[in-house]
Amino acid sequence: MSSPAAELRTAAPEAYIVLDGDDRITHVSPHLHHELGSWLGHVLWDHLPGAREVYGPSFDEARSSGHPVVSVVFYSGRVKRLTVIPAADGLAVHVERLAELDVTSLGTLTRSLLQIEAALAGRASGRHDPRAPGSLRALP
Amino acid sequence: MAVTVTQQLPFVVLDERDRIVGVGPDAESQFGPLIGSVMWDCFPGSEPLFKPYYDSARRTGEQLEFVQFYDGNIARIRAVPRGDGRLDLHWEQLARLDTLTLGGLVRTLEESLEHLDGERAGAHRAELRKTLRVIEGGA
Repeated sequence: MSSPAAELRTAAPEAYIVLDGDDRITHVSPHLHHELGSWLGHVLWDHLPGAREVYGPSFDEARSSGHPVVSVVFYSGRVKRLTVIPAADGLAVHVERLAELDVTSLGTLTRSLLQIEAALAGRASGRHDPRAPGSLRALP
Repeated sequence: MAVTVTQQLPFVVLDERDRIVGVGPDAESQFGPLIGSVMWDCFPGSEPLFKPYYDSARRTGEQLEFVQFYDGNIARIRAVPRGDGRLDLHWEQLARLDTLTLGGLVRTLEESLEHLDGERAGAHRAELRKTLRVIEGGA
């Protein structure tokens, strides 16, 4: 099995982090350094309250199966496609934002919830597809 | 359920051009640094939601109370005209959306919708409830 960093440099060169077995951040890709660099060495959940129940199952599945896992989740007002790639030196994680809640007014809330509904309706779980399009962003 | 804003000191005072010219003790931390600024410049998207009520209170000279959704908060606002174009605003927060998880969003949105009344909010409320049901079903 190749290193997760190497796999992601091919598939998602911009934004990813690598976690150890305790979900501690051991690597932050250069693209994310200004945003997440200060999280290096910290347990991910310490910075993302309530996220363990959302992201954790994908991490567990990737670790137990040894295969990359893609899932669509809602956390912190956003629907995201989460890609988790296991390897001997850790778990590489990257997130693509698909839709975002806009709570400015009832009108924007209604429209953005429809987008979130559509994004969640398209949720899929399975192997990582490195050809999947989309701009990659940081957690959370 | 009718609830009246009982706050005695105004939360915020606006002048006739909707500039923030006074701030009560409960609003000092949020609005204190904004004194002298036009309210709508500080809170994007808020003007169409609040200004019609404020203009109406100034025009009629009568205090006016309404419930509004803005920036994830549901608040009951009482606008009291002073007669010189200035407006005392009393503010009571009723609910806030929890957007951290889908479960929290569904729960707090339903709670928030309970506070909204009137025909104007009705269409949004029906659409939001329908969407929530779909999201809940797929979650």
